[in-house]
Amino acid sequence: MSDQPDNTSRCPFTLNRRRFLQGLGAAGAGVAAGGLGLPARAADGHAVTGAPVSTTTAQAYPFHGRHQQGILTPRPAAGMVVACDVLARDRAGLERLLRTLTERIAFLTEGGTYPERDPAYPPADSGILGPTIAPDGLTVTVSLGASLFDARFGLADARPRHLQRMTGFPNDALEPERCHGDLSLQICANTHDTTLHALRDLIKHTPGLLMVRWKQEGTVPVVPPRDHGPTPSARNYLGFRDGTANPDTDDATLMDTLIWTGSDPEEPAWTRGGSYQVVRLIRNYVERWDRTPLAEQEAVFGRRKASGAPLDGEREHDTPDYAADPGGRITPLDAHIRLANPRTPGFETHRILRRPFNYSNGVEANGQLDMGLLFIVYQADLEAGFITAQNRLNGEPLEEYIQPVGGGYFFTLPGAVDASDYLGRALLEATAI
Amino acid sequence: MSPRSLLIAAAAFGLMALQAPARADVDPEALVEPVADYKLYVLDNLDAFVSHTRDFTRAIKAGDLERAQSLYAPTRVYYERIEPVAELFADLDASIDAREDDYEKGVDDPDFTGFHRLEYGLFKQRTTDGLAPYARRLMSDVDDLESRVQGLTFPPARVVGGAAALMEEVAATKVSGEEDRYSHTDLWDFQGNVDGSQKIFALFKPLIAEEDPAFVERVEDNFAAVEATLAHYRLAADDPEAGFVSYEKVSDADRRALVGPVTVLAEDLSTLRGKLGL
Repeated sequence: MSDQPDNTSRCPFTLNRRRFLQGLGAAGAGVAAGGLGLPARAADGHAVTGAPVSTTTAQAYPFHGRHQQGILTPRPAAGMVVACDVLARDRAGLERLLRTLTERIAFLTEGGTYPERDPAYPPADSGILGPTIAPDGLTVTVSLGASLFDARFGLADARPRHLQRMTGFPNDALEPERCHGDLSLQICANTHDTTLHALRDLIKHTPGLLMVRWKQEGTVPVVPPRDHGPTPSARNYLGFRDGTANPDTDDATLMDTLIWTGSDPEEPAWTRGGSYQVVRLIRNYVERWDRTPLAEQEAVFGRRKASGAPLDGEREHDTPDYAADPGGRITPLDAHIRLANPRTPGFETHRILRRPFNYSNGVEANGQLDMGLLFIVYQADLEAGFITAQNRLNGEPLEEYIQPVGGGYFFTLPGAVDASDYLGRALLEATAI
Repeated sequence: MSPRSLLIAAAAFGLMALQAPARADVDPEALVEPVADYKLYVLDNLDAFVSHTRDFTRAIKAGDLERAQSLYAPTRVYYERIEPVAELFADLDASIDAREDDYEKGVDDPDFTGFHRLEYGLFKQRTTDGLAPYARRLMSDVDDLESRVQGLTFPPARVVGGAAALMEEVAATKVSGEEDRYSHTDLWDFQGNVDGSQKIFALFKPLIAEEDPAFVERVEDNFAAVEATLAHYRLAADDPEAGFVSYEKVSDADRRALVGPVTVLAEDLSTLRGKLGL
């Protein structure tokens, strides 16, 4: 399966996950020895300006497969979403765009050396990572917005059944310049610079085909490796763990039901192996939140802030028992996690996969920090997934502290299965005249 | 790297290799004529720029708001065409063509002068009151520019690089409509930049046409695409002097339609120096 790291290790840059974890183990041994978990630096007098060292630059996720990377792939520390308008003027241009993106992503996620050029020409690459790039856990996930299925490219009849233009929910204050797009790129990697390098490479290779419409970068805080037990979920900028209730991504059958499009006979056949992507830019009013009593913060979410445990549990991954608390005495009926997933029989089919990052953009005119959540979720059915969940959440107490300001709905293309395939091929073939 | 990854890398770079073939064998002497022709083009435009600026600034000093407004865009066109050369004189470029964003205090900054200061007065405040000193300063700066360019030896790399530089100007400030934010005459400047870039390309084209016909064809196609979109917005199809509609009237779809060929031109023309061995 494409979403698992490659076990055959065809390239020195491609490490499988186990080997990667073993590598961390070795680094863990270094913790005891060196105290920092990283190889000691040579005492060459350049400790101040020497580049920071990472042990995970060689980590690579194979690009080819039935599904694209960046959905079931473990979420790394840095991510961004770039929404674009497609400038291609015809189907040939659109195909060139999709083939170029495919080629570049295959190269960038595997790593390699850029060619040298005659210095009279602009260089082949931005060079911000040097002439040879390491994959650094990079994934680039390509998805299409509803607007691409207009009259321009003859795709209207092949639009995924639930794909639509995002409309505002009651608490939204959508800013038009941060909404929608013909195509989204979700770019994730171990470090922020690797995502930016990938973006600049993709822009450099698609002149006249793609125009950036909006972009949001994000991060999640890293934690030290654990010897046993599940890794805790990353915290959002409200200080709470996010994504605890995600479905089990190791359960392939469950993923085929909840995340990958394909089981619905009403969907166009080309969508098989894709997924609906929802992106929302959700502003957090962090100063106000930090002035809110802890007990109220916990009641708003329905979890303990320190441990992430549900209010009736001990540990993060304990399952709340709402049946034993029908009146909401322990977990308020309007707590975020209770509304989002009431854990009632039958609700299983509405579950979504959260894979968010946190963003920090600068300062508002009132001196408050512009911080929030780069909310990203995947699901097999947009209506049953995010739209149902968000409609249940409308009016929740958390709304006092947050406000969605942008984003869009997209359909993540099925994967490119091998080097002769390209992202979007099935869509273009299904609509060929 | 495995053979497979080498193949992928090779495929990925195939495109770039096509875009950047080995340097053409251009005899440095062959550059003399197009560079000299370009200097003539610049001097012709400067000549027209000086006389248009004279009319424009006279109208301001005479307090004729309507006439000053109507002469603003047609005067700037000449400057926009020759910007790569004009920008060689950074002090004059700042006092002639800087925008309020270039100053911390914006429109109130005492150093903010030139066309865009006058634009603010004429189109935002809608008066010529208080503009006479700016008009006098602009006229003397433009005269100064002309005399400096007369004596200038044109560096070939700068001339050839100007084709791309003009398209970078368009991509950075014209498409967004921020250049002429009060007069909304961006399309005039847009056309000026495109004219200037196209002129440079036309002068040096004979030196690469044989080596790289596909490149020449692509550049010409994209210039044609830009011209076709601009033509939509001309006030009179058969009279270039009539100019353009307000940039506010350009649809989002057409703004995007302009970004495509403009970006490809910027990317392609950035290889022109390499192709000529400069």
